[in-house]
Amino acid sequence: MLRFIYLYRNLTRNIPRTFMTCAAVALPIIIYVLSTAVIDGLNQFLDNSAKQLRLVTMHKTSFINPLPAGYRAKIESLDPTKKRITSVCGMRWIGGKIQDFPMPLSTLAVDVDTYPATFPDENLSAEEIAAWNRDRRALVVGAATARQLGWKVGDRVTINPSIPPYSPLEFNVVSTAPLAKDFVTNFFRMDYLEEELKKVSAPEGWTPDGWVSFFFVKCGTHADMDYFRMAIDELFARSPDETKTQDEKSFMTEFITQFFDLPTNLTILAGVTIFVALMAAANTMSMNIRDRLNEIATLKSLGFGPTTIFGLIQFESLALCSIGGFIGAALPYIAFNHTPLRNFTVPLIQALDVRMIVCLESLVIAFAIGVLAAAWPAWTGIRLKVVTALRNLE
Amino acid sequence: MVLPFYYNWRNLRRRRLSVTLTFFLVSVVVFVLAALLSFAAGIRASLAATGSSRNVIILKPGSTAESTSIMLPSEAARIVQAPNIAHGSTGQLLISPELCVQTNIPRRGPVGTPASVAIRGVDDIAYEIHAELKIIDGRRPRQGMMEIIVGKAARERYANLEPSGRLEMGRLANRVFTVVGVFEAGGGAIESEVWAPRTMLEDAFNRRFLSSVVVRLEDPAAARATIDYLNGPAVELDAQLETKYYDELSTKTREIVFLTTVLIGIMAIGAIFAVANTMYAAVDGRKREIAMLRTIGFARSSIMLSFVIESLLISTTACAAGLGASLFINGSRQDFLSDTTWTVLAYELRITPGILLSAFGLATLVGVGGALAPALKASRMRVIEALRKA
Repeated sequence: MLRFIYLYRNLTRNIPRTFMTCAAVALPIIIYVLSTAVIDGLNQFLDNSAKQLRLVTMHKTSFINPLPAGYRAKIESLDPTKKRITSVCGMRWIGGKIQDFPMPLSTLAVDVDTYPATFPDENLSAEEIAAWNRDRRALVVGAATARQLGWKVGDRVTINPSIPPYSPLEFNVVSTAPLAKDFVTNFFRMDYLEEELKKVSAPEGWTPDGWVSFFFVKCGTHADMDYFRMAIDELFARSPDETKTQDEKSFMTEFITQFFDLPTNLTILAGVTIFVALMAAANTMSMNIRDRLNEIATLKSLGFGPTTIFGLIQFESLALCSIGGFIGAALPYIAFNHTPLRNFTVPLIQALDVRMIVCLESLVIAFAIGVLAAAWPAWTGIRLKVVTALRNLE
Repeated sequence: MVLPFYYNWRNLRRRRLSVTLTFFLVSVVVFVLAALLSFAAGIRASLAATGSSRNVIILKPGSTAESTSIMLPSEAARIVQAPNIAHGSTGQLLISPELCVQTNIPRRGPVGTPASVAIRGVDDIAYEIHAELKIIDGRRPRQGMMEIIVGKAARERYANLEPSGRLEMGRLANRVFTVVGVFEAGGGAIESEVWAPRTMLEDAFNRRFLSSVVVRLEDPAAARATIDYLNGPAVELDAQLETKYYDELSTKTREIVFLTTVLIGIMAIGAIFAVANTMYAAVDGRKREIAMLRTIGFARSSIMLSFVIESLLISTTACAAGLGASLFINGSRQDFLSDTTWTVLAYELRITPGILLSAFGLATLVGVGGALAPALKASRMRVIEALRKA
């Protein structure tokens, strides 16, 4: 008990210093939490992709080359039982811009019949699926995009596609996919797009409709995925449009790493912030011990052993860093879960989801900083020669 | 009377560990600032160096970039009617029809992740219009040949783009093009591209349309009239100055600068607290000294100034060290995939004078901000009490 009082007194005897150290640890931890939250968001998205047993088939040379829509029937014919390939969904990217809104959207046309079955992770309710099937202009909006643009179910909205037909397309929002892992992408019906494309004048020998950007192939098991990944490419080998089929996670990773290689750069940033927090904490602890060398000497001469001295110094540092770490972890958690900042969309990554687990992890890191920061001061405390320290007393 | 600089220097050396830790902390913050800003500066420099205010780029209305623009040859044919188009050396109108496609080329390095590199198909006239393009190695591709030239940035960043290297392209990826030259374009974005004869590219990718048309103006001052004509009912295409087109592509960098400002703002406040902590300790450890200085006649203001200088000494030398470290990343090649053009832009990280300035600004802020409160405390110290305490 006495030791705890002593610890408490030590922390409160120089309040400005304690406060500033906590702040100097808390602020870098905030950045750490934010950058790991972004990485965590991407990983969650990728983990979901890995779980969904989906293959993505795209054109062998580049994602900008389209595939004939008729490939869907050929892929389906690989498994007449419909057990190993449960559904195939064609997808066509149209990008999209909203008037007076700077950010380009990510909007995709999908095959109307197979979309709900291929993407159960969109978690559409039975009514939403019914509305999707009923309404040719149905649009499923990504949750973050909907929040950003203020779109609600039942709204009538207009998107200007970035590719042919270029003319504005009108949609009825049927769902904002609140439970989906992908909060950004919007989906609408391919038959609507095809119909609009038929009105577009096209160069000779080329029709604008009847093409898709990718096929998403939902498989029954992991073994089926491995088998069909080869079988699909084999099927289209030596045809005018050869394909490249990979599992959804590899496909998505390839995309994400091309945007600034966000995961790598953010990991470096997170590492740097830990270093900054460590410097700040170590600085304070070394000053604290320097100021109190005579006290430590007194404690030693009174008979307190090295373990006690070591423990006292370590605990002081731990207390400082865990207060700082707690503040640093709690602030972004509260800000991004319980305040209007929740709707704030971060450029480049758009939606930020700060999960409890990320905050807890940073708290553990703060503990580690506490232990490391006190290592050298505690060592000095143990080795301190009582006589020399007391002699230097002013 | 001002305290001698030497006094500050000696004081710093007395508290070596604490000063070193603070020094490292500030230099890391400065380094992060410089590194993050160098991304934005590199991209901006590259895009700003692209395009000419004498050129007008024409796209299909509704498209957001060349790569999403599909223009029929019949639509492009209407462009010749526009006023104020310059004539070339042989008297023909300087109108360059261009086709932009992409192909995946692995990055250099052990992993070799594929990047979507822009391939531009042009006619010979394009070299008169894009006058900034200079062949630095080899020669131009000949029309009708499967030959390509590669930008300097693309050559450095992506694999197999050395002269006489071979690149498989096309809808079937079975057309082998040979690299016959390397070009530079004043550090502009087109240095990330590969250029090929347009007809060969049309054939290889089976595309019977154009992505964009670039025209050179006779009189840049009258650009408005030409653009209005092209956007108007006679042509009905989407024309803008080339410089404006590339400027709009660089809006993404504003987001990076914004994020950097927020992140560095938070870290800078943390650094101010750390510096303040160190300086408080310096003041507390020197109570008697300060009282003595006051007794022998140094004014409050000079004592305050002395502490601010001491703190600035730490933060500015740390800033210099941080910037020194950041020079190591200066010029290193990065690339990013634009979600507007869907092509990669290979650029160099740039530590610009502006970045140096903002780093020193940050260091000064941290130094002064951290020293202010402790210095005030020192200057307000009661002399007699401080001396008696001994």
